[in-house]
Amino acid sequence: MKRLLASLLVLGMAFSVTANAAGDVAAGTIKGQTCLGCHGVENYNNAYPTYHVPRLGGQHAGYLVAAMKAYKAGIRTHSTMHGNVADLSEQDMQDIAAYFEQDGK
Amino acid sequence: MKQLTKMVFAVMLIAVSASVFASGNIEAGKEKSTACAACHGVDGVSASPMFPTIAGQHADYMLHALKGYKSGKRNNPVMQGTVATLTDEDMADLAAYFASQTGLKTLKK
Repeated sequence: MKRLLASLLVLGMAFSVTANAAGDVAAGTIKGQTCLGCHGVENYNNAYPTYHVPRLGGQHAGYLVAAMKAYKAGIRTHSTMHGNVADLSEQDMQDIAAYFEQDGK
Repeated sequence: MKQLTKMVFAVMLIAVSASVFASGNIEAGKEKSTACAACHGVDGVSASPMFPTIAGQHADYMLHALKGYKSGKRNNPVMQGTVATLTDEDMADLAAYFASQTGLKTLKK
């Protein structure tokens, strides 16, 4: 019985980890509205230097979370992106990334 | 006057060819892309969430990223090693090739 309880506990933990890692598309759609100001405009340009703002629709969620974390930590430098992700929690990032990933499909 | 016209024409021609050069050659980029395929997929659609899909990404953004890796402004050991030997022309060609593939899209409003 103890064994069963222990395995159930492990199983429960595994589920909560996946749920967290997957991100919530509906929540991400709300949290990600600000991002569309640049990433939702076709052929929108970054200024100084000038280049197109990257397309993110259909990008891997895992990569997007890593990118946001790097901007937050200052490892990847872009003042606008740093400002936008500075207040995001890990869950916010997961949700926004899940929304972007499915948007391109 | 004739000379001036000729000069203006010559300058325009150089400007146009320079912009063509900057936009990169898709076919040349495809030939140079074998090393990229290992992580980013043959057509730039990556199979692993660790590596970004680059198919359909804007060419000028990718060029900016590649130059950032080369200069060390953008920090990733794998990318830094891969781009170390690339010329500006190589980077422009690679960017043109992956931009021409189908993958990423602008987010829908």
